[in-house]
Amino acid sequence: MKREAPDSPNSPDQGISMPKKPKTALVHDRTNGTLSSRTGLTPQKSTAFANNLNPSKLRTPTRKSQAKSLFSTPRGNSGEGDRGSRTKNADQSAKRKSALVLFEQSEDEFWDGADRLAEEILEEESDASTNHEEEGEEIVTTGARGTRAPTDATDTPRHRPGRPKGSKNRRSPTPEGELPPHERYFFQNRAGPPQTSNYSLSRVSLLTHEEYFENRARYHDPHLEEKDFLLELHRRSFPQWNFEFSEQFNICLYGYGSKRRLVLEFADWLHDRYAPSPPTIVVVNGYKPNLSIRSIFATIVGAILGSDTPSKLGAQPTEVLEFLQSAVRSRRSQSRVMVLIHSIDAPPLRRMAHQALLARLAATPSIHLLATADTPNFSLMWDLTLRDQFNFAFHDCTTFAAYEAEWTVVDEVHQLFGRRGHRINGRDGVGFVLKSLPENARSLYRILLIELLSAAGGLAGSDDEDAGENAVRREEGGARREAVIEFRTLYQKASEEFIASSEMMFRTLLKEFHDHQMITSRMDASGAEILGVPLSREEMEGVLEDLVMN
Amino acid sequence: MDATESEGGLGNAGVYVYQSRKPANVQRGRSSKKRKVVQSQNDASLLFVPLLDGKEDAGLVKLRYATFQKLWLKHEERIRNILQDIDSRIFEDLASFVNTASLTAGRIPTALVTIGSNVSCLTRLLERLASDKAKAVVVVLDSGDAPSLKTALKNIIRTAITNAEGTEQYQKILNDRAGPRLLPYDLNILHEYVRKKDTRRLVIAFQDSEAFDQTLLNDLLSLIRYGGWTALCNASVTSLNPSSSWLDRIPFVLLFGIATSSELFETSLPQSTASLIQGRCFEMHDVGGSIDRIYESFQTGPDVKLWLGHRPSSFLFQKSRDYFQSPEGFACQVKYAYMSHFFANSLSVLLSDDISTASPSRAELCQAVRNLPSFRCFCERLLEIDRHNEVHDLLEDDAHLFKETIRMLNSGQCRMGNLFQAVKAILILQTHLKMSKTNNISTLSVRALAGDLRASATVKEILAEMKKLDSESLQLLLSQIRKELGHCDVFQELQKELASFLKTEKVTGSLRSKHGNNSHYIMKTSTVRRANLGKASTGLSGKDLRYSDLLDRLHATLEKFFTTMLINPQDLFLNEIFLFDLKNPLKDTFTPRVRFAIERALSTPFDYLMPMSDEVEGHLSAGQPPTAILYQLYLESGSLVNTYDLWKAFYTIIGGEETGDERLTFTLFYQALSELKALGMVKSNRRRIDHISKSAWKGL
Repeated sequence: MKREAPDSPNSPDQGISMPKKPKTALVHDRTNGTLSSRTGLTPQKSTAFANNLNPSKLRTPTRKSQAKSLFSTPRGNSGEGDRGSRTKNADQSAKRKSALVLFEQSEDEFWDGADRLAEEILEEESDASTNHEEEGEEIVTTGARGTRAPTDATDTPRHRPGRPKGSKNRRSPTPEGELPPHERYFFQNRAGPPQTSNYSLSRVSLLTHEEYFENRARYHDPHLEEKDFLLELHRRSFPQWNFEFSEQFNICLYGYGSKRRLVLEFADWLHDRYAPSPPTIVVVNGYKPNLSIRSIFATIVGAILGSDTPSKLGAQPTEVLEFLQSAVRSRRSQSRVMVLIHSIDAPPLRRMAHQALLARLAATPSIHLLATADTPNFSLMWDLTLRDQFNFAFHDCTTFAAYEAEWTVVDEVHQLFGRRGHRINGRDGVGFVLKSLPENARSLYRILLIELLSAAGGLAGSDDEDAGENAVRREEGGARREAVIEFRTLYQKASEEFIASSEMMFRTLLKEFHDHQMITSRMDASGAEILGVPLSREEMEGVLEDLVMN
Repeated sequence: MDATESEGGLGNAGVYVYQSRKPANVQRGRSSKKRKVVQSQNDASLLFVPLLDGKEDAGLVKLRYATFQKLWLKHEERIRNILQDIDSRIFEDLASFVNTASLTAGRIPTALVTIGSNVSCLTRLLERLASDKAKAVVVVLDSGDAPSLKTALKNIIRTAITNAEGTEQYQKILNDRAGPRLLPYDLNILHEYVRKKDTRRLVIAFQDSEAFDQTLLNDLLSLIRYGGWTALCNASVTSLNPSSSWLDRIPFVLLFGIATSSELFETSLPQSTASLIQGRCFEMHDVGGSIDRIYESFQTGPDVKLWLGHRPSSFLFQKSRDYFQSPEGFACQVKYAYMSHFFANSLSVLLSDDISTASPSRAELCQAVRNLPSFRCFCERLLEIDRHNEVHDLLEDDAHLFKETIRMLNSGQCRMGNLFQAVKAILILQTHLKMSKTNNISTLSVRALAGDLRASATVKEILAEMKKLDSESLQLLLSQIRKELGHCDVFQELQKELASFLKTEKVTGSLRSKHGNNSHYIMKTSTVRRANLGKASTGLSGKDLRYSDLLDRLHATLEKFFTTMLINPQDLFLNEIFLFDLKNPLKDTFTPRVRFAIERALSTPFDYLMPMSDEVEGHLSAGQPPTAILYQLYLESGSLVNTYDLWKAFYTIIGGEETGDERLTFTLFYQALSELKALGMVKSNRRRIDHISKSAWKGL
């Protein structure tokens, strides 16, 4: 972790945990806040530093700072002294290096502080003139780009939609120019500390399901017309698909965007086309997590045989499939069966065994398979044999449609953020589960919540005192501080209250919570088991309230 | 929108049977009943759409479909025959092995079939074996069918019985049995069945033997060999009484499909298991040959009407070289080419035999012919030779144009046939002249179709070699060509000419050509060579010289033959009708560039979303769909991404600060991020909080 010296002039020294670091961040935040509230600018260290080097650029710091806020956020910049001194650095002893770094760091900060102050003053003084200058520049550039030009001359140029001009090359971790893909890969995966900022999502409050859907409903898609046009283009190939089906091809649709609507429209189309005696159409929602392969086959059997379906089909998917195949064979004259599978590459169907069964289904004559695939690498699922059995004709059906049914956006994103807890069910869900649990389980959860809340109460108090809470938290090991309780403690409390007489029983109760993801458990450094609840403080309070009330 | 409403109920189920979402359908159904359109599902009017802006005559649409069906059926038949022919030798070997394998030797008779890349071949063989008259029951076992020994046995028993008797019978045998009920994996069931039916052989085919669990195979083999469940439980297999073996009660023959090599397969089995089987190896042929033969049947068959141009041909061969491919897969792709042609080319109806008798309105069709690029070229050529009236007629008179079209179409098809005659001739000449570099039919065809064989080195070399032949080998060669090409006039004439020459000259031995280098003599020693060089021309008799004259004439004829035959198909009038020369339908359908499509959609969304307004912005702009914006930001980031930074950047680009609706933008951010996750481009990172790691790089 502790690096002795920055390995390149550009590489910032954030890796070295400096005692003054938090303070820097704090100072920085404050300036940031005040400035941006006034002008919408976010002058930052490097800007200041650059200004320091080239005073002539002082006039137009905006472009830079805008750019700055683009991607990664600021850090202390390395000192002037070590620019281009790599060879010198390498020759120095570790001790000297660290001493140098320490020295430079503080000097840097000093400079920074002074600089920022100077900049602030300058900004205030030359606010009007700077803005005017910028206005001119802005008009030229925007005129060239064909976007709207500012109408109000006194209006401060703010972040406008789109990427600030020229910022791309300067700020992004990707160097200028078009790199070939492999070069880009190596560049982005180069050694060294990750070049990301220390900000965390605690600065924004995450969305809940309700808020997400509320906002989603409010959103007006600017590309509605274009997307409809795209859909219309795809719709024109319906007869072609139908013909391909009739010639024993199966169809696989790929491309970006949800193809659900398109496929369902195809079903409508087929239905209308063969109006008096439409073919049997079975729709499979491949993305449904509880989907079983057997149920697909069973549904198809049911669709073919109608009331003749035997009551017992066998538990193995293979058996059902074979029964299905023999049923199809014996009813050759019967109309064909269309099986439309949404997202054949979704996790529930992704397994090789499932794909093999689906391939056998697809190879059955008079069963036609239309599958959609969303991921870029789905064709890796099929080997030579499966590919032959599927006999797919592929069509690019990029729709740009939002994936609304395929997955739950909020859950997915929270999982990505590592906030699993927020998902499941929140307060209502937990309450619901608790209602169905026996009395002593409820009591146990109540105790757990009380303990956690009292622990959290202490935490929150100490946190509030420190304005630079982010930095403090980061120093304490990364994870957001969550109220937790040790397993032992909770067990003691529980036995004191006569909830669980043995550890066995106690664990049984916890297991129930675990199954519903109402608690989290992990081992801490000493190996002791730590329990927590994946709810926010407010939610915990709410649940506790409900528990006590009932 | 009623669509979204009714989806609510059904969309939640995993699988459901589609019901029409439109209540208005009842009425529609009635009206269509009134029109009495109760037809079979494969009716042409339902499968083919009228082309020419929808103005195509319904009769012609039907005819187009019928032509396709007829043409394709013929090809299908031919392909089946070819495949059967190719397989026949190995099939006979295999069948005789299965039928004669001795079951008493104490070892399980086993066929080890090395299939290599030719996966579909084994399936074909097994199908034939099962349908063979011999009383062999074939059970095909896939590695997926055998997760455990019990399931494997159950599947073997069930498949063996249901294949012959059907599912009901199987249930009956299982349930209506006198005595104690047996478990579905008890081989006694199979034993009784085999005894009752007097099955001579029971073949268990392991299709992908490498994929089977080794221990399971082991158990299965020892069970068959030594019998009894106890054998498995006790593990002391050898001490068991061999009389409990299933082998002498059920006539098992095993068949392993091996993709690697039989040696590798043997080493993967433990010694004890390997000693249980008595194996025999069968080697499958390579796919390449059968593909060439299928292609040949498409292009040079007796009544071919539609040819594949050089673009689809080279694509098909490229693909079969680059990927493992079954002959069926290859045929399917050619079929797709045929399908595309007849589906989308309204003029393809002219390939029908019944087009002249079918008398629907031809105005549209003729207009379509006039729009062909080759029609234009044709007219220009007519104008060059001052046949203005002809052109005038073609442009004005539909009946004349139609007659002319049919005539030219036939002549064009004829010339295509000739082209492939010439290709065949080249192929034969090449092998007979023992040329240094021989091309196979696929390369030759592709080059011929591209029109660059006429002036190629191959043809020149052949002609040069021809000149050097002596009379005997020339005679042999010509008779050979005649045998293989049959009715080709040029070679027939050449042969006649040669025969009469030899007759009149009363030649007994072989005559030498003056162009011949007589390599036998020359290569011996340098001194001899020097001497012979002088002699080479002088040592020729008068007969030899006259023969050389004849050779020169033959050479000229042959040269003319090649120049007239090896035309460029693209120059022919109406080539759009009898030549399918589009690569993209095949390429897009069979080698999709999935990842590229997604990357393109996200990095340059306006390729797909045709902007309705003229505001086109090159790079990142708020006008793009949110996911595209996020994706492009993601492309620029390092391998580790801070989500907060990403969000801020996204917010800036969307211009949220102007609209001030941060939560709405955040919602879009959520949506975009979830899509990136589902596309497998980001995954969560455990080590750093609120960071995600990148897992896909564009263009790699």
